[in-house]
Amino acid sequence: MKHFLKNAFKTKVIYVMLTVFILLTAYAAVSGIHNYSEQNSIRLEHQEKARQSWEANPDKHPHRMAHFGTFAFRMKQPLSMFDYGIESFTGNAVFLEAHRQNSVNFSDAGFSTGTLRFGELSMAMLLQLVLPLILFFLGFSVVVSERENGTLKILLSQGADWKEILLGKSLGLFVLALLFFAPIVLFTTGFLFFGETSINPADSWQRFLLLFLGYALFLLILCFMSIVVSTTARSSKNALLTLLGIWLFMVVLVPKTSQAIGNAMYPTPSKLSFQSAVERDVIKKGDSHNPDDPYFNRLKDSVLAVHGVDSVTELPFNYGGFVMREGEKTSANLYKKHHDSLLHIYEKQNNVSRFTAVLNPFVAIKTISMAFTGTDFKGYVDFQEQAETYRYQLAQEMNELQMEYISTKKISGSEGKKHVVGHEHWEEFPDFEHQMQPLQSSLNVASLGIFSLLGWVLLSFLGLRYLSKKAKAI
Amino acid sequence: MYRLLFLQFLRSRAVLASLVLILLLGVISIGIGHQFLSQKKAAIEQVESHQKSHIERNVALHKDDLGLLMYYVQFAFVNSTTHLAGLSIGQSDLNPNVQRITIKNLEGQRYDTDLVNPMNLQSGNLDLSFVLIYLFPLLIIVFTFNLLSEETETGTWRLVSVQTSSKSKYLLTKLSVRVLLIYAVLGVLFTVAKIVLAIPLDLNFMMVVLLSFLYVAFWFALCFFVINYKKNSGFNALLLLSIWLVLLILLPAGINAYLTNKYPVPEALSTMISQRDGYHTKWDTDKKETLQKFYDHYPQFQEFGYPIEGFNWTWYYAMQQMGDDDSAKDTKALRKKMGERETASKQLSAFLPNMHLQLAFNELAGTSLNQHLSFLDATGDFHEELRLFFYPLIFKEESGDSVDWTKFVPKYSDDGKDDKTQLRFMWPLLIATFIMFLGCIIIGRKLH
Repeated sequence: MKHFLKNAFKTKVIYVMLTVFILLTAYAAVSGIHNYSEQNSIRLEHQEKARQSWEANPDKHPHRMAHFGTFAFRMKQPLSMFDYGIESFTGNAVFLEAHRQNSVNFSDAGFSTGTLRFGELSMAMLLQLVLPLILFFLGFSVVVSERENGTLKILLSQGADWKEILLGKSLGLFVLALLFFAPIVLFTTGFLFFGETSINPADSWQRFLLLFLGYALFLLILCFMSIVVSTTARSSKNALLTLLGIWLFMVVLVPKTSQAIGNAMYPTPSKLSFQSAVERDVIKKGDSHNPDDPYFNRLKDSVLAVHGVDSVTELPFNYGGFVMREGEKTSANLYKKHHDSLLHIYEKQNNVSRFTAVLNPFVAIKTISMAFTGTDFKGYVDFQEQAETYRYQLAQEMNELQMEYISTKKISGSEGKKHVVGHEHWEEFPDFEHQMQPLQSSLNVASLGIFSLLGWVLLSFLGLRYLSKKAKAI
Repeated sequence: MYRLLFLQFLRSRAVLASLVLILLLGVISIGIGHQFLSQKKAAIEQVESHQKSHIERNVALHKDDLGLLMYYVQFAFVNSTTHLAGLSIGQSDLNPNVQRITIKNLEGQRYDTDLVNPMNLQSGNLDLSFVLIYLFPLLIIVFTFNLLSEETETGTWRLVSVQTSSKSKYLLTKLSVRVLLIYAVLGVLFTVAKIVLAIPLDLNFMMVVLLSFLYVAFWFALCFFVINYKKNSGFNALLLLSIWLVLLILLPAGINAYLTNKYPVPEALSTMISQRDGYHTKWDTDKKETLQKFYDHYPQFQEFGYPIEGFNWTWYYAMQQMGDDDSAKDTKALRKKMGERETASKQLSAFLPNMHLQLAFNELAGTSLNQHLSFLDATGDFHEELRLFFYPLIFKEESGDSVDWTKFVPKYSDDGKDDKTQLRFMWPLLIATFIMFLGCIIIGRKLH
């Protein structure tokens, strides 16, 4: 191992590569940190601005407030400075109002001319794409070239055994890998220490730890892989070509093709068919905006019967608010049902490439990385659900206020200064706050990838042992 | 000899395998393009039939109250997809090509996104432009990295140098075998694409083909330049792959990071808030003032006066209008920022053949950001037309029956899809290829 490292530092190439890699890391780190703090401050500022105008509302009819609505802004997790995941492709802001589930709009991808589609320069990308190539380059010839020039034979005749040689070389390469890895670890820890990060530093540190353990495993696998290929190859040229082939196949071709296959196998419905399916179901169940709707007429009769009165104006609460409360309940449930099945389609699309993680350590580390940085699909769905829950609560709170405070005689219409609720209620309703996913749920998502990596480490050990019995010195 | 060189080249199993692989991926990519086009087409057909029933249903429910009816009725505005979009899906997987809008305030509606799986977006489309831009260079690398070195490594180079009059002529002949094969593959794929995607043989398609041929020439020249240094095969492969990584992944990603950080778009969020506040706060302010502002914008409606008692539709739609009017400044700033992004990315991409090619493809196929922005502008015009038509009818309290609803079929935008002579796309690629050729000639003189 010492021998290997001494050899590695004899050539100038390694210094050049290390310098270039550190420069790239620095650029990725600076733009990652800049992007994180800038985007979060923009979103926070707008969240506050939106809140101010919410609170500045005078006394008014609560249903007006339900439509005034508010916004939910998606906040970035601290570790998103390390891995952008899908954050650039998901919307950042959604308008929350009564009766309607609006789309989450304004993704970075939407503002992009298409340059984004070439990929994003992040520290994760350097680790997943560039470092493997560097390691393959440093490792392809270590065994095969010694066989070619005969040193291997000498080494073996001097009493070294194959197992020691192979393990030593793998670990030597791993030390080199850690050398490249170190600046990235430094930048990220520095950011977690000194950066303006979140409310929950303990969570970030746990994620950081798991994340970097995952990457260490990944690098170890790459080192084993290079040594195995280098031992089995006929010539060093073949070793290099095989490793480059593996890289191309596992990093570029398989992930992209499998996602495309998933997308083709389970097509996404058009927005119109999604919306009209929801609309159809709502109408079938009962449309609270239709004055002659049979469902709501039956509901009215039963409410009147329960309270023993003849007309809605005699009820102890405002009937308009009651109808909207029931309407919101049904439409929100039906929307959720359809939205869940849409998400199910997305998940089926994603599973095709997700399951290739079992065979492909490059996909495994990608899912782990996105999960622990909170920039994965689950994180986005989680945000949407939080926003929808908040929207529902907002609408229902306003309906409750209407039932309680608005005169029972005022059934419809929300205009004017007469039937109003005091503005102190607006402040009482708390603002939306995007909660980060709990670590447990990220762990669940990452588990497949973690098992895959562990399996690969085990497999590489076994492979190395097998090779140490079979390998030939000439 | 030519025939022999051909046969010798094709005897290699790696060569055959990579040829089959690229043809397969090419055909898959065309299939994906086809699926994309038919999904878009189906969505448009659906809009056609839906709009009729949607209007009928709402007219039946609310025909006595045109103001309320117009609160609900949505009109579709369609950005028709070109057949070329199947080759270069670009931004059109993300940006909706159908807008369904009501005459209420526009800014709250026009940025609504389509249903998309963000994981698909991140992974990107496997369309023919991807195969061409990313995979063809790899194929060219595989075909050429040992063009010269295999001869030196197997010891045949000395034989060749003795037997042939000109070594560079021999090398060029060898190279031309590979060039011909790649162009043949490209030709096959374009023919299949033309037939499967039913692409018309227009200027835009010609331009796509021409640019692709140039791009392939650029990569051949680049590879030839590198292999002339007579390094060993392993080194060539590694160097070429590193160049590929830098040109196709690192540099574009770096440029993207630069653009995102240099031009953040807080204006989008500001627009969102100001259009909401612009409209909603008017429920509490002086009605006369709102109406006055509305008539300042549309003096032609002044005859409808200042009804301020209770709820009325003139006041309501005046409020809605204020959502757009009050956010106009933010909207303009947003549009300006997008323009800046577009210009900056075009300028930077001129130096990077692959990025330039992708952006040029998108523009030729009508799937660029710029064309989506013009679609959004056209949506604004369409919306304005609807408003001006319905405002007086609502203010006059006409019945829903007085409108001829049959003429409100989905409208198509045909903005920015004309065959401009887009020769300008050629220059950056042509220059890059030319420089590489020049490099080859110089290096060839020096080394052989």
